[in-house]
Amino acid sequence: MKWLELLTVGGATLVSAVTVVVLYSLGVRLTAMGGDQRAAAPGWLRSLAYACFALCGLAVLFGLYLIIPYFSG
Amino acid sequence: MVALVIALALFFDFTNGFHDTANAMATPIATGAIKPKTAVTLAAILNLVGAFLSTEVAKTVSGGIIREGSGGVQITPDIIFAGLMGAILWNMITWLKGLPSSSSHALFGGLIGAAVAGIGFNSVNLETLLQKVILPAVFAPLIAAIVAYICTRLAYALTSRHDPETGTKLTQKRGGFRTGQIFTSSLVALAHGTNDAQKTMGIITLVLIAAGTQTPGSGPQLWVIAACAFAIAIGTYAGGWRIIRTMGAGLTEVKPAQGFAAETSTASAILASSHLGFALSTTQVASGSVIGSGLGRRGTSVRWGMVGKIALGWLFTLPAAGIVGALTALLVKTGVVGVVIAAVAGTGAVLYMFLVSRQSKVGHHNAVEVEEAGQAVRFAKKKAFARARARANESARANEPKDTER
Repeated sequence: MKWLELLTVGGATLVSAVTVVVLYSLGVRLTAMGGDQRAAAPGWLRSLAYACFALCGLAVLFGLYLIIPYFSG
Repeated sequence: MVALVIALALFFDFTNGFHDTANAMATPIATGAIKPKTAVTLAAILNLVGAFLSTEVAKTVSGGIIREGSGGVQITPDIIFAGLMGAILWNMITWLKGLPSSSSHALFGGLIGAAVAGIGFNSVNLETLLQKVILPAVFAPLIAAIVAYICTRLAYALTSRHDPETGTKLTQKRGGFRTGQIFTSSLVALAHGTNDAQKTMGIITLVLIAAGTQTPGSGPQLWVIAACAFAIAIGTYAGGWRIIRTMGAGLTEVKPAQGFAAETSTASAILASSHLGFALSTTQVASGSVIGSGLGRRGTSVRWGMVGKIALGWLFTLPAAGIVGALTALLVKTGVVGVVIAAVAGTGAVLYMFLVSRQSKVGHHNAVEVEEAGQAVRFAKKKAFARARARANESARANEPKDTER
């Protein structure tokens, strides 16, 4: 039986999905904080938010890079 | 015969496309992230791209379940013809009912039925069947649902903001997830292309090998890849609005954050499984994700009646397509007349279902009631929801300080 493969697929799914969702959610949260009226440092928060979105995008691209056989040879 | 089978295979690819548009695009359409027309166009383009990206699945997909090659039985174009017939008819029936069922299971079921009727029971490899079809069918929705549940909880936990002093809600900007949905749903469409177009490529290649025009063991030829890619893209563009309605609104009410979590889980599950070789059904993963994200958000109810209906549909997919495949195989066995009868009957059935579908049209305009008609309903719902929440808050107020302390 292929239990190990099943476990790998489940684990990989969990790790990748959680990474993307956490990064994006942090980005959303930081944007919301930056948008507050009495935010301490809106500029910082905004750029941190963008960094989160960018990291999230990178995570997705890295995943695609791993999957597309053209790149991984 | 070979030409007929290839035409049928491409038509199956087409039904596969419009059957599965829902997997990628139901949730963004439901949350209003993308307009319906734009969504199917985007999905079609990405399916096209995805189909060209990889041919790994095509090489392995159809192999193994039916014993072929040396020491096994000779698989003929007739068998494949019968199998495809079963798969297409079942796809059309489930589409008419608006049920998201697995196109791959329909294909496997049809092929198995055809092989059993045409050759005998010993032609089916039961162990591979268990490994490749039945176990994934159980685990795919489970994995997807669990992951989507966790992701939805995380997304809501990370974006929930309360004023530390007064406890009132601050702006959360959860609408930001809508933008993210555009990307995640695109990813699902891409994953679908890399996965499902491959199955038809595998079938056509199998036919070409069986007919002796291609050397055994070689990969799909370029024109096969292109034809499959276009067939699935056109099918996707045609859009299975009935199934989009089921997935987008029938299972649970979908909010942007949920949709984002569900799509991320779907995309990761499909890509992970097709890369690591434990093939999961796109449809089952997507349905599992939507259910999981529905469970993950408080105040959302999952319509279990609909879930039961879908599960029942999954249960029937393999045997039902198998029976049609078997009947067709028996017809085809009788000779040329049988083939003609099967082809005419199949076309007739497809046409009939198409005509029935015209009577209660579900198109991009009413697949998911987003704005026009939904306005009044949604308003009332929001009010009721707010009332319910106020009541819940009152009763939960006693516990709340403890929650914030943790």
